[in-house]
Amino acid sequence: MSTDNTDDAGAVLVEDFEDRPIRERIAENPRPAAIWALGFAALVAVQFGAIAGVLVNSIPWGTLLGPFPPIPGSGSVNAAGQWVADLPTLLSRELVPNEGYYVPGEGWQETFLGLSPALAWAFRVVLVYAYAAAFVAWIWYAYVLFRRHYRYADWTPRDDVVARLRTHRWGQFGLVIVLAFVVMALFAPVLATAPLEQNIVDPYSNTIEYYDNGAGEVVETTAGDANRESASRGGDSNVGPMSYDNYDRFHPLGTMPSGQDLFTFMVFGARVSLLIGLLSLAISSVAAAALALFGAYYKGKLDLSFVLISDSVQAMPRLLLLVLLSVVLANTWIGGLYSGAVVLALIFGATGWPALWRAVRGPALQVADREWIDAARSYGQASTTTMRRHMLPYILGYLLIYASMTLGGIIVGVAGLSFLGLGVDSPTPEWGRAINAGQDYVTTSSWHISLMPGIFIVLVVTAFNALGDGIRDAIDPQSDGGGDADEAAAGGTGA
Amino acid sequence: MSEQAHSQTGATEAPTAGAATDDETLIAVENLKTYYETDGLRSNDPVKAVDGVSFEIERGETLGLVGESGCGKTTLGRTLVRLETPTDGQVSFDGTDVSTLSGDDLKAWRQNAQIVFQDPESSMNDRLTVGKIIREPLDSYEWKTPRERRARVRELLDLVGLRSEHYYRYPHQFSGGQRQRIGIARALALNPDFVVLDEPTSALDVSVQAKILNLLEDLQDELGLTYLLIAHDLSVVRHACDRIAVMYLGNIMEIGDTERLFTDPANPYTRTLLSAIPTPDPTADRERIPLRGSPPSPQDPPSGCPFSTRCPMTVRPEEWDDLSEELWDRIDLFRTVLRERARGADTLGTRVRRTIGLDDPAADFEEIRESTFGDVTVPEAVAVEVDETERRLADGGEPAALAYLQDRFGSDCDTNLPAAHVVDDSGRTSRCHHHREDVAGLDEPTSARPDR
Repeated sequence: MSTDNTDDAGAVLVEDFEDRPIRERIAENPRPAAIWALGFAALVAVQFGAIAGVLVNSIPWGTLLGPFPPIPGSGSVNAAGQWVADLPTLLSRELVPNEGYYVPGEGWQETFLGLSPALAWAFRVVLVYAYAAAFVAWIWYAYVLFRRHYRYADWTPRDDVVARLRTHRWGQFGLVIVLAFVVMALFAPVLATAPLEQNIVDPYSNTIEYYDNGAGEVVETTAGDANRESASRGGDSNVGPMSYDNYDRFHPLGTMPSGQDLFTFMVFGARVSLLIGLLSLAISSVAAAALALFGAYYKGKLDLSFVLISDSVQAMPRLLLLVLLSVVLANTWIGGLYSGAVVLALIFGATGWPALWRAVRGPALQVADREWIDAARSYGQASTTTMRRHMLPYILGYLLIYASMTLGGIIVGVAGLSFLGLGVDSPTPEWGRAINAGQDYVTTSSWHISLMPGIFIVLVVTAFNALGDGIRDAIDPQSDGGGDADEAAAGGTGA
Repeated sequence: MSEQAHSQTGATEAPTAGAATDDETLIAVENLKTYYETDGLRSNDPVKAVDGVSFEIERGETLGLVGESGCGKTTLGRTLVRLETPTDGQVSFDGTDVSTLSGDDLKAWRQNAQIVFQDPESSMNDRLTVGKIIREPLDSYEWKTPRERRARVRELLDLVGLRSEHYYRYPHQFSGGQRQRIGIARALALNPDFVVLDEPTSALDVSVQAKILNLLEDLQDELGLTYLLIAHDLSVVRHACDRIAVMYLGNIMEIGDTERLFTDPANPYTRTLLSAIPTPDPTADRERIPLRGSPPSPQDPPSGCPFSTRCPMTVRPEEWDDLSEELWDRIDLFRTVLRERARGADTLGTRVRRTIGLDDPAADFEEIRESTFGDVTVPEAVAVEVDETERRLADGGEPAALAYLQDRFGSDCDTNLPAAHVVDDSGRTSRCHHHREDVAGLDEPTSARPDR
């Protein structure tokens, strides 16, 4: 409370309703927040090893710290870090192993609780999704608690958006599938039936054990040899969905023509698709939002120049550009990043912004004409602050809708390119390559190789569109599901 | 509002009789012009929204600005708070010229002059809480500490008659009148000297209008504010303003003391405007002066007096002095009809059709003639001119006919912008050629012209 207001008549009133930062509000009524924090800590704790593992092992500390002189005692820090990273986690292959072999009379060996590999794997999948569901629910619970205990406003416009989304079944369907897809990408190593390195990347350097019925003992062989024996190539040589191969390995979606496990291929492929989709959308969304805001705020020649630039970009044939650049950049350092996925993301991002920009330009121009923009100018608000505070929130919703709809298109586009052999290179799994690999066997008993990835793509793209529809209806109750969904989805299907 | 201003004026006038006038003037506007650039296909003329106005606003006074929609009053208000950049002229605020300020100087000055917008639905961002909306000007100037800003917002909410727990509500949750209070609180946040009220009550219910006007009046008393009240509701300005400026087509036609202007309007435009106010007494016999035609385009205003094309009291050239009032009126009407037709015919389609002879501009001339002059006796001298007009119309279309009529019947009204004549002892000024010494006054019969 400021001193110059204390003698004011209004000060008493003001004092009554003193507002405090959220920190103090929590301090006053800590119980709900503490319960939530405890639950959150528990959720993090069971996965602590994995989270630390990402920090310790995925970030190239050696390269980052290379230029600095070695810090004394860093060896023990490294060791401690490694120990933390190796802590057992709830969701791990080690805790719930599914790779084992069947010894007649003795049952399953080396699997979780002696369950069959199929059950052990299913248990792990259920565990992962249960954990993810709990996590999402807990985050939602934080919002509920905040609303109930700590928020001053008894109503905000966002409440209405949430309320409308709650009754939007189609949007919820999309949200569930999208979340499942994201979880699949995040937890790919845990969900996979076999490790990526062993089964797909370098099978001849990795060994597996199995019980040889003829010899009557457990023998070791390379994964590559085992793969060769379990290839799905139609006719008699086939390992279909939900079946075991001769090495007691369970294949939920069957195997590929190379004998690799299709499910492992799919979950790691989800990572590539998601990375390309999100990275390219991040690039094009930032560009689209910035151009829309500046163009709408300053109008005139600036806006016109943006129209011309976007027209020029859109006039370029995207597919040809993609083919050209992926060939030209193939042997450069950037072309090698993540087997070419980063280049694809950059190209999709650099060519995708005009479509997004056009979608949000109209709303941006509309909001720029509102009187509150004039009001902001009348009290000298900086132009960038005005754009951020008074215009961006109004176009963000549209951006989200169109971005989620475009994401499906990008996934289809990447799959299409990989199908043509131009996208993500081997050995990094990519859904389109799986479809390509199974193309010759569609009419044979190995039909699953193309069909399964196809169903996945259809489902994910539909889900992203459904989510976009849901968000749109939630943000703008007047809008009716129109043709824009198809239009936006069509935008990305260049390949 | 007016009482307060008067008493204040009186109080300051007494001790410092001579120098007082300079101190009291808060805003002096001189020959202000605000044009909007257009880039039409056929014409690049700018829209002359404000076309050379000069006036002063005294400290603590409320100046009303009235006029038809589209006359430039909102643009003038926006220019005074520098939401528009003037094309030409000066606005001196407390002695400094603010018309050319930019950058940091402009931002520093802006806290002195704020605006309350017409539409409370669109003048505030609905995604911010009321507290944030009112706080924004304070944030923008980094006024004191955030905590003091919040306290100031509560103080302002209290000041405009809202409750301080409204801080965390959203604009959606308020009625139109309450929202306008929020808009007023925001305008007052920085403690400005001058506030432009751009039709602050026109979007509100009548019962709420009075409350908002009373609030504005109280705030003026309390904070010593100076207002420019833009309105098209004449009863509102009469109630609230000390002085009134009447605007037409980018020009101020008459400006002066409210009561005097209402009881004895000097300018023909003010007269027609005031005659449009309905009277509660149905038996009262008042002459309503109808306005002919529609206002001219501000892109192409009349060359003389801006009101000349619709004025029912144009100055007559000497040679037509002996025409009856009624006939002169018909001649005016005749010109108005042709002017409206000229505007309607100024399209590409008509031009093409006329060029290839499909459309005869004089085809319905007899009808026009019949409807304008049918029930009056037309002397030979006038009939000749009308016949000649028909010929010109057939040959050169409306522009040629109008040029001829202007040549024959036109006067200073059509060619010269009238000066601002002082019309009474309170310093009221009015732009009309009738105020000139050598032209008959508005209420005098034509024959009373002094130079005859």
